[in-house]
Amino acid sequence: MDRTLEDFITALRRSGVRVSVAETMDALQAAALSGYGDRRLLKDFLSVSLAKSLPEKEIFEVCFSRFFAVDDVSGEDFLFEKGDVPPTVQGTSLLTQFLLSGDDGGLALAFREAAGLAGIRDIQYPTQKGLYMQRFFQELGMEALDRDLRRLTEEGSPEALAQAKALESMRNHLVERTRNLIERQIELYASARADELSAEHIRNTRLTAIEERDLARIHKIVQKMVKQLKDRNSRRQKAARRGHLDFKKTFRKNITYGGIPFNTCWKSKKIDRAEVVAICDVSRSVANVARFFLLVLYSLNEVIPKIRSFIFCSNLVEVSPLFEKYPLQEALARLWSGTDLPILMNRTDYGGSFLDFKDQHSHCLTKRSTVIIMGDARNNYWNPKTEALRFISERCKRLIWLNPEMPSLWGAGDSEMETYLPYCTIARECNTLRHLEKVVEYLLRVN
Amino acid sequence: MLPEGGAVNTLTDKFATVEGVRLGLKEVGYIAARQIAHAVYLAYHLGKPVLVEGPAGVGKTELAKATASFMGIPLIRLQCYEGLDESKALYEWKYGKQLLYTQLLKDKLDGIIGGEANLAESIDRLHQYDDIFFSPRFLEPRPLLRALQEKGGAVLLIDEVDKSDDEFEAFLLEILSDFQVSVPEIGTIEATTRPFVFLTSNSTRELGEALKRRCLHLYISFPEQGLEREIVKTRVPGISERLTAQLVSFIHQVRTLDIKKVPSVSETIDWAKTLVILHAENLDRELVRDTLNTFLKAREDIRVAEEKLHTLMEHALKEAT
Repeated sequence: MDRTLEDFITALRRSGVRVSVAETMDALQAAALSGYGDRRLLKDFLSVSLAKSLPEKEIFEVCFSRFFAVDDVSGEDFLFEKGDVPPTVQGTSLLTQFLLSGDDGGLALAFREAAGLAGIRDIQYPTQKGLYMQRFFQELGMEALDRDLRRLTEEGSPEALAQAKALESMRNHLVERTRNLIERQIELYASARADELSAEHIRNTRLTAIEERDLARIHKIVQKMVKQLKDRNSRRQKAARRGHLDFKKTFRKNITYGGIPFNTCWKSKKIDRAEVVAICDVSRSVANVARFFLLVLYSLNEVIPKIRSFIFCSNLVEVSPLFEKYPLQEALARLWSGTDLPILMNRTDYGGSFLDFKDQHSHCLTKRSTVIIMGDARNNYWNPKTEALRFISERCKRLIWLNPEMPSLWGAGDSEMETYLPYCTIARECNTLRHLEKVVEYLLRVN
Repeated sequence: MLPEGGAVNTLTDKFATVEGVRLGLKEVGYIAARQIAHAVYLAYHLGKPVLVEGPAGVGKTELAKATASFMGIPLIRLQCYEGLDESKALYEWKYGKQLLYTQLLKDKLDGIIGGEANLAESIDRLHQYDDIFFSPRFLEPRPLLRALQEKGGAVLLIDEVDKSDDEFEAFLLEILSDFQVSVPEIGTIEATTRPFVFLTSNSTRELGEALKRRCLHLYISFPEQGLEREIVKTRVPGISERLTAQLVSFIHQVRTLDIKKVPSVSETIDWAKTLVILHAENLDRELVRDTLNTFLKAREDIRVAEEKLHTLMEHALKEAT
């Protein structure tokens, strides 16, 4: 297989574009049609056959220009001044000879070979820069060059000194070039890889340790998950159950034909759009995960049209309008500080808050709605008022409780989780993105 | 693969060079950006379907139509919607006709079976005719089957595939990779000539990986000013150079505003037509204000544009000169 194309596809894959074998074959055929002469034609052909969505197209653009820029390094970029260098001394290394005689072609070849031998395409982390540079120099024959340089200086004749000086400056130039080359390789192969690794890391980090700077990235991951959920759910899929004849309807319709069933009617099933009611605890006991919950809440708000969001501590308030009005950062800040919200940040009162919900907002529950409660159920030994939760539970399709604590802690101390558990359709521990993913998967399965 | 040698030659001639494709599309009234021409060329040579994505109204559907008339073969269109299934897309038995025929032929049947002595013999007799009601004569071909059966090849346009269900998407896979379908009662029907397939999507949902893998993917975005000017000039003959420059520049600015629905290329053309009918030679404030509703369809959007009208106009007039 075409080595250049193979390398390019590797670079694409490392940057996060999924390329299948079938697509590789297409790309091969396309490249054979276009040849490598016309870059724009090649780019269009490869783009059409390899990048299959808008984000992928963007990655492709960047990758393509970087990749083929790297390839050009060994070509035209490598012009050294020729002329005033005296003819080469016998017994010097190949690299020295290339440099002194100004043989660009030979040098380019040597460069390419060294790059291949040093395996710089395998570079994975930016920290490996030094290592790969050293390997590259070794393959290029830098040691021999240094030896020649030393010998020339030791010789001491004016001719040799002039040569040594010229060689010295070219050596510096060479080092500079190599550094550039390696840095570009890192951009091409390693940066995306590092991104991927940290995304993986974030998934498994407990959300109590969530940091401000990761917020945007987590938001993206959550958004993706929530969107997936919505995609499958919200489309009113009219799954025609073929094979189930609606006999009553058929008979009624065909009375005009003397009972001969000319027009048949089939049973069909409608799936309704998701209706979600989200209730989130923002008290101090869950302070460190509340930010994450709010993030989830915000993402849900972005994609689900029929959603009502509430937060509570000592009492319960609706926050849906806030999410619509402000961008993520500001909405979170406002929720956090409680600006313009009639929320009381005293001790958490689950019972009271459920009662608030029952009294003021229960009309938004229908038999189609899913209620998601996020909180640790630590009620400060107050009356849990289970009947309020039962009321909610009876009026919705299902009630999901996401608890940041481990199941073994449920019911310990002032946790009322065990008391509430019977009224939950499902209760899950949720404090990493991995957990959240599992919950999302569960939601998808049930439907 | 084509039956007549002549057709083969002309088609191969048409697709001989990339430039030829671009000019050919231009001849039938479609001004193609470089990428689009390249994609069509590649799709022809690889024999692969093209999935076209992009914002509404950039000419995705138009591309399929133009390709059909460029290649000189019919266009068969399948509009996707929620709940679209095989019977609407592929084929259906003409149930009514079958029923009617059985009713009409009741007496005939009595005659055929009547002579036999017992049940077993009657059934043997019937078996000689068993497939008669499930023959191609009672088959109603829908767009997909029609595209496969078309002798000289066809351009098959599967429009807004993102609106269909996941199941339908899965069902498309068989057709797109093998260009054949199996009808249980008749057998496998293979394409005589592979149709040139376009799928369009407005990205209302993410399409499946499997479908994407089988297609080439073309993303069409809004054209550059130069290209859009050319499009307007081809579509609206008799429009002056200056007016074209002004209105295209204006539209391009409107697209950068924070509005609900950005004006599409087809709406640019509509506006240009309107202005020509009104005998406009120049854009002026009153005229623009009165005709904003040809390319902005939401009240909120019109309000936003009206507020900025002055700066937009100034910029457009300056850029056009």
